[in-house]
Parts: sequence; C-alpha cells; structure tokens
Amino acid sequence: MRPIVNPRPIVRFHGVTRAYGSRLAIDDVDLTLQSGEMALLVGPSGAGKTTLLKLINREIRPTSGEVWVDGMAAHELSASHVAELRRKVGVVFQDYKLLPRLTALENVAFGLQVSDLRVSDEEARERSRDALEAVGIGDRGDSFPHQLSGGQQQRVAVARAVVAQPPLLIADEPTGNLDQETAWELMDLFEDIAAWGTAVLVATHNVDIVTRLQRRVLTLVHGRLVRDQPAGQTGRMAWLASS
Amino acid sequence: MAGVVVKVRFPARRTLQTVAANVFRYLVQGAARSWARNLGGTAPALGSMTLLLLISGVVGVTGFALYNLEQVEAAQASMLHVYLRDNASADDILALRNRLEADPRVAKVGYTTKDEALRRAKSIPGLPELADSTDSNPFPASLDVQAKSIDDVAAIDASVRYDLAVDPVYPTSYDRGAYQRIQSVLFGLGVAGLAFIGLLGFVAVSVTMNSIKAAIHARRDEVRIMQLVGAPRWMVRGPFLIEGAITGAIAGLVAGAVTFGLTAAAITGGSGGFNQLAPGVTFAVAAFAALLVVVAGLLLGSGSSLISIRRHMES
Repeated sequence: MRPIVNPRPIVRFHGVTRAYGSRLAIDDVDLTLQSGEMALLVGPSGAGKTTLLKLINREIRPTSGEVWVDGMAAHELSASHVAELRRKVGVVFQDYKLLPRLTALENVAFGLQVSDLRVSDEEARERSRDALEAVGIGDRGDSFPHQLSGGQQQRVAVARAVVAQPPLLIADEPTGNLDQETAWELMDLFEDIAAWGTAVLVATHNVDIVTRLQRRVLTLVHGRLVRDQPAGQTGRMAWLASS
Repeated sequence: MAGVVVKVRFPARRTLQTVAANVFRYLVQGAARSWARNLGGTAPALGSMTLLLLISGVVGVTGFALYNLEQVEAAQASMLHVYLRDNASADDILALRNRLEADPRVAKVGYTTKDEALRRAKSIPGLPELADSTDSNPFPASLDVQAKSIDDVAAIDASVRYDLAVDPVYPTSYDRGAYQRIQSVLFGLGVAGLAFIGLLGFVAVSVTMNSIKAAIHARRDEVRIMQLVGAPRWMVRGPFLIEGAITGAIAGLVAGAVTFGLTAAAITGGSGGFNQLAPGVTFAVAAFAALLVVVAGLLLGSGSSLISIRRHMES
C-alpha cells in the first residue's frame, strides 16, 4: 500500500443508465470517486446499489453513459479485457465467498496467483501473510474458513481483495452478516485501506455506520443519485423515509 | 520492514518457470483433481463416449474392409471369365483369344489352365471342400478378359457365349447386376453405420456436456472468485476444457485398445479367410484405427466441454 500523493479519479460515471426491460435500475448517474477517498453507497432495497457496483466491476454494461475505472472504459470493454479491469478492483461480499477447502492464507494466495501467474508460491505466501497481518488476523493464516468467526472470514476476504494492491475496493453489504462491534472493526479497516490511497466504495444498509462514520455518502433512490453528501456533512438519511 | 512488499525483478527464465508451474497447478492439476472428485458425475459420459468410440472404431475398420472389398469386386466385375469346354480344340481357343484381343473394348486377355483354376479355387473359402469331393478337376480352363469399362462386360459376354470353344452350360462368369447389388448393399450399410454413429455421438456429446455443466456448478464459487479477482478467461475455462479432454482421452484409450484387440484377434484367428472377407485390414491398419479413436476421443471430449463452457460459464 502507498500513501496518497496526488489524488486522481478512480471511478467516473457520466450519465450512466442501466435498464432491465422497461425498469431503470440506474438512472442518469454522474459521480466521481478519487484515490484515497472512502464513500458509502446507501439507499433502500432495490435502489440500484448492487447494480452500480456491478457496473464498476463490468459484470454488466450500462444501457447508456460511460463508466471509467482507473482510466479504463468499462462501458465499452470487450469480454476478453474484463480480467484486466478486475485486477484494478478488489471486491468484498456479504457472504465472504471463501473457498472452504483452502486455508485463510491459501485463499488469499489463490486470488493473487490466478490473477497474476508470474507470482511464485514463495512470493504469494509472503504477500498473503502481509495482507492477513494488515487486516489483523496474521495469526490465523493456517485456519480453514469454518474455523474462523464471521468477522475473521470477512477480514480474509478483505485481505484477498487488497493483496494485489488494486486502486479500488468495492464492498457490497460487507457488514450484513456481522454483529455491530465486528462491523465497526471492519469499517475501521476500510478507513485504513483508504488512508493508504485506495478508493473505497461500500454499499450498506447500516444507518448507524453511515451516521457515525461521517464519510462521503452517495444516496440512491429508484436508481437515481438523489444526494451526494461530502464527508463530515452526513445529516438525516433521506432514503430512510422510503425504505 | 513488516508489511512492505519488496518487488524483485526475476530473471525471465525464472518467471517462465513460475508461470509454467502456476499454469500446471491451476489448469492441469486442478482439472485432474476436479475430474477425480466428480467421477460419479462423469461416469455416464465416460461410458457413453467409450461405447461410441468403440463402435466407431469397429465400424471404421469394417468400413475400410468393405471399401477394399468393393474395390476388389469392382475389379472383378470388369473381369469376365470365359469358361472353355474341356474338349475344346487348341485352334478354337486360339481363334477366340485372337478375336477378343482384337476387340477394342478389351484391355487384355489372359489364359487360365484347369490346374491353375483348381489352385486358385483352393484359396477361396468353401471351395477347397468342393475340389476335394471329386477325383477329377471340376474347374474349367478359362480366358480371363479384362474389359476397359465395366459397362462393356455385357456386350463382350454376348459376343462370346455361343463360341465353339466356350462351355455351353456355364459359358461365362457374367452376372447381370451383381456389382450394382453389392454397391447398393454397401451404400445401405454405410448410411446405416453413419446414422448409428451420429445418434451415439449426439448422446455422448449431450451426456459429456451435462457432466461438464455439473462440474461447473460444483466449482461455481471457485469460478466466481477467479472471475472477480481478474483471472484470465482461459484460466477460468481451461480446467473444464481439460476435464472434458481427460474424459475423452480415457474413453479413447479404452475404446482404441479394444478396437485394436478385436481387429488383431480377427486377423490372427481368421488366418487366410479373413483376408478374403476383409482385404487390406492388417495390424498396421488396426493400430492406425486405434490411434484415430484416441484422437477422436480427445476431440470429442474437449469439443463437448467447449460447447458446455460457452453455454453455462457466463451464467
């Protein structure tokens, strides 16, 4: 990880719309996320949070508009170049998505090696150990997922997402399966990651986290970005009324 | 310096070794492990593909033999044997031979004595018993007329069958429509064989596709993670392609070995008679057929996987 020198735009949406049939999941969204910036993506269920994250990771294409990720045009990327984009994006899910047959260390190393075949076993082990250390579970590298708590499993997932040092980390409801205390620890971890220069975008339902964290908040309602509140100015959550 | 990754520039050779080791581990070993783990699901594909390849191998060797047989029949059909009276005079035989050699429709004329006819008959399955059943030689001498075109055989037959030198009871070997009948039978057999192989092929490909679909489903989390961390497409799809190829190769090896074994047993067990029934089928042909079966297995297995991957991977 590296400290922020000159912030640069990592994610840029220009007039992005994504339709499923006649329903607009994302409606004319414009936004920019800088390196080292952490933003929370909030909104009621079905507001389009997951769709927006999928657009960034090029799991889907926009119906119209442009999606740029660290200089790559995700909106017009061919299938053969998607892997290149995804190496720039670390992803964390609510259900961790760890491989049960691999240890924590192997899970992290697996993600590293399959995305970059030039990484030797030795290097993969070393970098994975560093990543686990960084997320606070350096001593659990040899444990299998079922031997870890939910919070620890999510930390392994975070370690896997950042071990290749991508410029962007996206997380879809990462605290959904965690208790409040563990959720806070995870958010602290995300703040640390952002402090080292990675842009972090977290989709969450957790109002407590949003109000207490005082980070930039992007509010989506019915696919529209209805509010973009800068860090430190998080007020009443408009979407609460409609959720 | 905990937490700091020092990047060292490896020599190109070492990088190449690392890449090769990773490719081998994640592609080949991963595929082999997954194949072994899903053997229960793969077994029907393996069975149906082995059966298909075995039948294809046997039908292929049989087809090759039939093709050769047809060539022999075609050559024989344009060869007209004019059987001579036992008591025909040498002058009459010579006159007939001269007339035939002067015929523009005739390519060449040979002469077979009664003794040669007997020797030849003894090499044909079933005829030695006939030859041994009587004290005298029952096979006539003949003029062997090679027609330039198979279509002229009937006309040549008509021009010689009432000649003084020719046997009045059984004048020639001409059998109207025999060659056409053989061709029709062979064509029918070919069509039926291809249709049967086509049907079995469809079943084998469908079953293999399903087994690969099951393998993709069983490893969906792994696939999903590989896709999300940015593994190249070939890296994500490769193991499934190799799984299909393993299924095809094993099926091909088993079917190839059995094809070779059956053909070799027929060659050895059938001795001289086998060469009459299946001309041109040798141990080399059997080995080549077995090799083709193995290659077909590999292609069938990986091809079916490829179709399945294309159809199911993205979903």
